[in-house]
Order: sequence, then structure tokens, then C-alpha cells
Amino acid sequence: MKFKHIRPTTTSGWGAAAVFLVAILILPTLFLLVRVFQPASENWDHIREFMLKDYFVDTISIAVWTGLFSVAVGTTLAWLVSAYDFPFRKTLKWALLLPLAIPPYIGAYTYHGILDYTGVVQMTLRNTFGLELSQAYFDIMHIPGAVFIFTIFLYPYVYAITRAFFASQATSLIESARVLGSGPVQTFFRVVLPVSRAAIVAGVSLVVLEVLNDYGVVSYFGIQTFSTAIFQTWFSFGDIDAAIKLAGILMAIVMFILLLEKFLRGRRKFSYSTTKVKPLKPVRLYGWKKAVVVGYTGSVFLLGFVIPVVQLLYWAALTFDYIFTKEFVSYIWNSTFVASVSAAAIVVIAILVANYTRMAKGIVPAVTARLTILGYSIPGAVIAVGVISFFIFLDEQLMTMLGASSSLVLSTSVVMLLFAYVIRFMAIGYNSIESGFEKVGMKFTEASRTLGMGWTETFFKVDVKLIRPAIFSGFILVFVDILKELPLTLILRPFNFETLSTMAYRYANDEMIQEAAVASLFIVMVSGIAMYLFHTFIEKEPN
Amino acid sequence: MHVSISDLSFSYPGTKEYIVSDFSLHMKEGEILSILGESGSGKSTILRLLAGLEEPVKGTVRVGDKVFCDHGNVVLPVEKRGIGMVFQDYALFPHMTVEANITFGLKRWRRRARKERLEEMLALIGMEEYKKRYPFELSGGQQQRIALARALAPNPSLLLLDEPFSNLDAHLQHRIRAELRETIKQTGTTTLFVTHDQEDARVLADRVVMVEKGTVQKAGRPSEVFKDTWNEKLLEV
Repeated sequence: MKFKHIRPTTTSGWGAAAVFLVAILILPTLFLLVRVFQPASENWDHIREFMLKDYFVDTISIAVWTGLFSVAVGTTLAWLVSAYDFPFRKTLKWALLLPLAIPPYIGAYTYHGILDYTGVVQMTLRNTFGLELSQAYFDIMHIPGAVFIFTIFLYPYVYAITRAFFASQATSLIESARVLGSGPVQTFFRVVLPVSRAAIVAGVSLVVLEVLNDYGVVSYFGIQTFSTAIFQTWFSFGDIDAAIKLAGILMAIVMFILLLEKFLRGRRKFSYSTTKVKPLKPVRLYGWKKAVVVGYTGSVFLLGFVIPVVQLLYWAALTFDYIFTKEFVSYIWNSTFVASVSAAAIVVIAILVANYTRMAKGIVPAVTARLTILGYSIPGAVIAVGVISFFIFLDEQLMTMLGASSSLVLSTSVVMLLFAYVIRFMAIGYNSIESGFEKVGMKFTEASRTLGMGWTETFFKVDVKLIRPAIFSGFILVFVDILKELPLTLILRPFNFETLSTMAYRYANDEMIQEAAVASLFIVMVSGIAMYLFHTFIEKEPN
Repeated sequence: MHVSISDLSFSYPGTKEYIVSDFSLHMKEGEILSILGESGSGKSTILRLLAGLEEPVKGTVRVGDKVFCDHGNVVLPVEKRGIGMVFQDYALFPHMTVEANITFGLKRWRRRARKERLEEMLALIGMEEYKKRYPFELSGGQQQRIALARALAPNPSLLLLDEPFSNLDAHLQHRIRAELRETIKQTGTTTLFVTHDQEDARVLADRVVMVEKGTVQKAGRPSEVFKDTWNEKLLEV
């Protein structure tokens, strides 16, 4: 008699498909790992001797300072908005997320333009006040400048996660501290910060990973980090092996950060209340306290969103007529095309894998789930190197198999770029789908099974329909992230294939900052609208 | 300490419906009083108003010689009231040991006095050997005792308990009810606790106030208040 498993196993159709897909996704990274240990080239000796230290110091110092400042800004904003009532609080609560809609590289060249000799600040000082100050005061193209740019556009990761934590978990602890006579400052340092440590660490590690992923800001500012170094060795020296070695070191740094995160989150598992949580009752502020808080929260919002957007709008108005051509429409189409195809692929794979990992038990599904989300921590430069060397390898195999003359088929097609997107942004889609499944639970699936429906039938008739909101939100999140993405697109796109982000970057890099504004504004607007929709619809959805 | 509450009312901003309306109550020093009501009766809100975690629309609250609020104006903010509160989920600080939790409210005390008070509290709840533990290493009943000790440590003028037994297993409730009354009576603290369970109120309280829709329905000694309801129940059977 043939026995049918109640749950899917790795050898069943569903399980095998899920494991196979995830295996393909991690292949390029494994490929890199193998090649890291190949014998070094001459270039590598040169790099190791003269440049490696600078790459290391610059990369780490930008990451560390940005991390520290993001924690300072993100947690204080989250605390003020959660615990106090002051004018504009309701708006700022979600508006303080908006800087995330501006990709740091766009922010970087916008601020450079604002502070430039011909920018609005210096023009005003010159023409209105007759002041001519040293250019050094206005230069932000250095490490502290990069730290400012990253902090002001990435702090929302810390802000969002800690604010959600305050709202869901910390209320009774904070009230309890107050009842026991603890004032606001003391409550913040003795209770709020320590109990939300895990949330803060989670937020700041996202920030640091974004910084390590960045290529646009540091290359625009001319700072030598691992990302810029990898691209340089590859394009200028044409040395893939040395680039792979640098990618290996960058990956080691990322691994170290992930381990550090695990460690900092702590081994102690805090058991929080399961009782229904009331939102924290904000305390109304008066007088100078009110002024200081409004001033602080307001200026972060101005710096992180209003000022750059107004500047972009102004530039866009100047250049719109000759920038918005037929060609520009094709960039929009290209962006939309790559973003929607990859987002769709990600969502489908995420559903398959998440459904398998929630049903099956054991080590294989657990590992599969971990590997699926690995890509998000890998910097774009590393993925790019991995994917390209993997595809060249595939092309070589293909050639010998078909006996064709030397031609690169896969490695010059858009497939390579799409594949890289799927690796990098899988985690975002997966997390969304997984939390969708978690919300729904197993009961409907089980009910369907007891009513005589098979696995596959249940999947299509019940499971997929129940998580439709999660599918939708996962798609949108991935779509927006791909729209903003720069390093992968810049390197892996086929020849002459331009998207909004590559156009914005190329204009800015050619010192045509005003011309870059239309494409940038497009990206910022789409991201901003998506974030607004999320805030109004998804966040308010009752659990 | 003597407690006097008069005409206390509360509604959420922008709504007209009163969660608590014209609630008045007087308590003698050292009295244990229970506010009994269904969920949604406004009983927890009364507690939060006394603690200062919500702002009343109107009403006056006096505890001892301190005025907490005067005709709807909050005079003393929550951290200045010097009251003790045991939260429904205990709200023990998960990152602090039992010792640090209990001494949290004693920051202005001298080190010596603080240490003595800690020992005194631990002895009161019979948990001397647990002071280096973290809350998650304790059982539900032990956590509740620590929460009580933390609330009592600063010598509060008034102790508030929010559904003190709702997070405990049924078989623990019986034992702990009697224990809790014993502990509180030892310290002589004026105590107000809210519950939905008549049995809690009967065993623990000197006096019971039944609340419905934020107003007092009945008040008196447990035996008096429950006499009628028991009769009703008997009739139903």
C-alpha cells in the first residue's frame, strides 16, 4: 500500500521545487566562494599592499558612524513621537519615514548641488548678503558628508522598527516606570533603550547593510570603499579575480556584522506580555520643551525630505521640456519592465518556498528559509561579481555543449540583471509572504484538507487567496526597491539599456545635476506614494 | 492613606460617550477595596485615572494630603504621585534582575536604606533567594509577587492592582488570593483593585464597589453586596 505524507517532504513535488529554486539562487554566491581561493593575480598583490587598508578604513568608518548617528536620530524620534504630544505629531509620525523614499545617491548629488558654488545656498549668500565664504565650508564630498547623507536618508529603518516596538511591546513597561516615579529622560535611558535593544539592533543592521551595499554615494563623492574598489578593479583593471577577492572580503565583513547582530540582540529571550496592548498615552508638551521637540523633529523632516524634494522639483521644472522625450519614456518603460518582471518572479518563488517551509518540518525547510533571505545582506557589488562570473561560466559551458563559435548569450541579456534582482530582493518578498501565512495560520488549510481537498487544490483555492494582501504588499515593496536600485542595474544591464536610476546617476556623474532631477523625482514620487499607501491601508489593517 | 474621589469622569477625546461618569468613592486608611465589573465597565480606566495614566474630563482626586487632580485639572503628573501599581501583565522590566526591579522606584533613597528595604520586601514575599534572577526565570505566581514588592517598596500612599489574578492558573489563584491579602494587610497600605471575578472580591476585599457603565451600582461589604446576586442566581437555578 502506498502511504501519502500528510505534510510535504523534500522529496515531494512542492518541496523539491522549493529547494531547487533556492539552490539556484545561492549558486552564484557559492561560485564566488570557490573562486575566492584561487591563486592571486599581480593586481591583487598591488591592491593588497597599497590600497586594501584604505578601503577597509573608509568602509568601516562610514558604516560605524552612520550606524551610531542613525541610532541617535532614529530612537529619539521614535520616542518623542510615541511618548509626547506636540503640534504636527500625527503628520510627522509617518512623514518621518519619507526620507526612505529618496535613494541616498539621489540625496547625495542633490545636497552637493544645493551647497555647490552655483547652488542656492551660496548664491543667496553672495547675491543677497554679499558674502563669499571659503569653498571648504560647503564641501560635502568627504567621509563626514557621506555619513550625513546616509544618516539622514536611512535613519527611518531604525525609527520604523523601534517605533513599532514601542507601540506593541513597551507600553506597560514605560507606564510602570512612570508610576514608580521615573521622569522622562530617566525612563528613556533606563527602560526604553535597554528593552528595545533587539529592535534597535535590527534597524541599525539594516542601515549598515545598506551602507555597505551603496555604490552611488561613495563613487559620486570619490570615496574608496569596497564597493567602488570592486567595480574599479573589474572595469579599470579588467581583473575579475582580484574583484572576486575584494568581494570575498566585503562578504566577510557582512558576515561579521550579521554575527554581531545575533550577539547584540542577546541570548536572553525577553518574554513580553500577551495581554492586549493599549497604545502609550502621549504626554502633551508646553513652552520651550514643545518648541525644542517641534524644532528637532521638523528639521529632520526638512533635511531628509522637504529640502531635497523642493530642490529636485525646481531643477525638474527647469529641465523638464528637453529631458522628457520619447527616450525618457523608454527609460520609464525599462524600469517598470525589469521591476515588475522581477517582482512577479520573486513573489511566485516566495509563495512556493514559504508554503513549503511552513508546512514541512525538519532541518531542510529551516535551512531553506534561512538561505532564501540571505541575498538581502549581500552587497550589490558582490552579487554583481558573483552573477556575472556565474553567467560567463554558463555561457562557456553552453558554447562547448553546442559547439558554437564564441559568443556570449546569457551574460549579455537582461536575464542576468533580472536574476541578480531576484537574489538581492528575494528576502523582502519572502518576509511579506511569510508574515501573511503566519497571520492566517494553519487552520484554514487544515479545514480544507479535512474537507477532502488535496495539497495542490488547497494551495490554489485556499492558501493563495487568503494571503492576497501579503502578495500585493510584497510585490509593491520589491517593485519600489528595484526602481531605486543602482549598483546591480549599473553593471549588469545589457549594453545601452537605461533605467530611471541609471539615467539619474549618469547625468549627475557628468555634472549635469539639473538634468538628473526628472528621473530622480520620478523614483522619489513612486516610492513616496507607495509608502503613503502602505501607511494608510496596510498599517491600519486589523490583525 | 485616606482617599477621596469625587465626580470623576472620563471620555476619549472627540467622543461623547463617558467611559467613567461621576464616579465618587471614599476610602479609609488601610482599607482594601475592590472595584468589580464586567469588561468594558470602565473599571480599569478608573485605575488608570488614579495612577495618572489618563487625564479625567472632570473630577477631584485626593490621596492623603496630596491633590492628584482638581476639578479635571491634573495637578500631579504620574511620576510625582507616589502610588504603587501592579499591572495586569506585571510589566516587570525584562532586562533587570529581581533586585533591580524592586529597587527601581527607590532611586532617591540612600544606598543603605535601599538595601534594607530590598531585603524587607523580599522577606515580605518570601523570595529572598531570588534577587539575582531575571523575570523570565520565574513562574507566573513569583512574577506577581515581585511586581507587588516593586509596587510596595517606595511606601506608596495608595496601591492599585489591575486584575491581579487574570494571568495565573486557576489552582494558583486560591492560594495566592489569601496570601496577597495577608501581605497587603501587613504593610497597612490602602489598596484598590479591580477584578471581574466575584470570588476575588469576596476573599480579598474589605468593601466592594460594583461598577457598570462607569458608575457605581452597588457598594458595601462583600457579604452584603453579594447577598442579592446569590439569591438571583439561586432563583435562576
